[in-house]
Amino acid sequence: MALSTHTTRSGFLLPSIHSAPPFFTQQPNPNTQKIVTETWSRLILSYARHRNLFFIRVEDAETQGSEWDEILRNDRIKRRLLPSHLSYILSEMVAKNQAVYEPPKQTRSVLLYWRLPEEWAEVLHQWVTSTGQLTTILTFYEITDPPVPSPLTGIPVVLLRKAIAVLAKTGRAQIIAVADGEGARFFAGTGR
Amino acid sequence: MHRFGGGISALERHKQAQRSFAELSSEISQTQISNLQAQLAHFRKALAQFASTHRDKIAKDPSFRHAFQQMCSSIGVDPLAGPRRGGWWAELTGIGDWQHELGVQIVDVCVSTRERNGGLIDLAELIRLVSRLRGPGGQVTEDDVARSIKTLEPLGAGYQVVDVGGGRKMVRSVVKELDDDQMVVIAVAQDGGGRVEVDGLVEKRGWTVERARAALENMLLRDGLCWLDEQDESCPQVYWVPSAMQWDE
Repeated sequence: MALSTHTTRSGFLLPSIHSAPPFFTQQPNPNTQKIVTETWSRLILSYARHRNLFFIRVEDAETQGSEWDEILRNDRIKRRLLPSHLSYILSEMVAKNQAVYEPPKQTRSVLLYWRLPEEWAEVLHQWVTSTGQLTTILTFYEITDPPVPSPLTGIPVVLLRKAIAVLAKTGRAQIIAVADGEGARFFAGTGR
Repeated sequence: MHRFGGGISALERHKQAQRSFAELSSEISQTQISNLQAQLAHFRKALAQFASTHRDKIAKDPSFRHAFQQMCSSIGVDPLAGPRRGGWWAELTGIGDWQHELGVQIVDVCVSTRERNGGLIDLAELIRLVSRLRGPGGQVTEDDVARSIKTLEPLGAGYQVVDVGGGRKMVRSVVKELDDDQMVVIAVAQDGGGRVEVDGLVEKRGWTVERARAALENMLLRDGLCWLDEQDESCPQVYWVPSAMQWDE
């Protein structure tokens, strides 16, 4: 049986290790598990980026039908990532700042950093600049759900807030209370 | 008196004869040496010409390279010898550089796959990955790789070609002795596409359960040479030897 890559229904290319049965078992050898954890972390982040997903929960490994099924399960070899294993991987991702527990003070759901808040900040600033919206007040809703889809479409408010905070530190953004919630105003600058 | 005088002249004659023999012999060896030197000079000239004509072909064509290596060993010349002995040969053919470059590529592949295979890679797999690294026209043979690995030996990093039986060879890139039982496990795993379990070793090799379990657990926990799979329907603990699995990438 040769281990080969596989393209999922959503067009994601799974690496060949995803068709290796032991990849789905938590390894007793710490060095081996380190490789497994790193590979799963990369896989989760790149799949999240591919599908524009921001959250993964331990329960996604518990029941079938989650948006993460394509990577958490491999029905061709009858293997799946067990919830306890996923929980361990998520804790390692949090430790490496590849994710944060969100909401905080629990360990069953994480916000994924396939872009760090600092990187989102640059994406956001660039989008605001290129669409000519500098100095205009934008509501959060106008950013997360713009009429013309942008790289920020669907970004969770909690992450958007972090990105704006990064820009605010360098004087490139300011959070402003608006009638129907919150908004922000952006200013030109390079962040240096 | 007569006898005495005769004795002296005989001695003189004898000495004379010895002197001329010595002269003759040194003359002969002189001729032989200069002959040999002439031959060697001729050989070097021919070789230089051969090398400059075929340098590219030696580097690019695996079968030509093989024939060349064979020719070298049959005339007792080591194309890889250092500067002190026959280094000009390596310089002329460029095979020294070529071989060392291959060595670097082998190390590259071994190190980059070590994480997943624990420092043991199938020779065929290594050749495939090295060839891919070298790009088109950079084909190498088993012979080339084995030779390069030999040049890596002085580094003491443990690079070695290991025969696991059944005509299968693996390359080990860690300083770790494989014991006999591990060799058997690897051979059995290779027959099963990398999969091996306690019962299989008991059935196929007549091992006791304890022996099979000990060998597998050592490979799993101590050496990191195999991975555990707990989701197999037929057996609660299946071991997989990544270096015996076929990876299409």
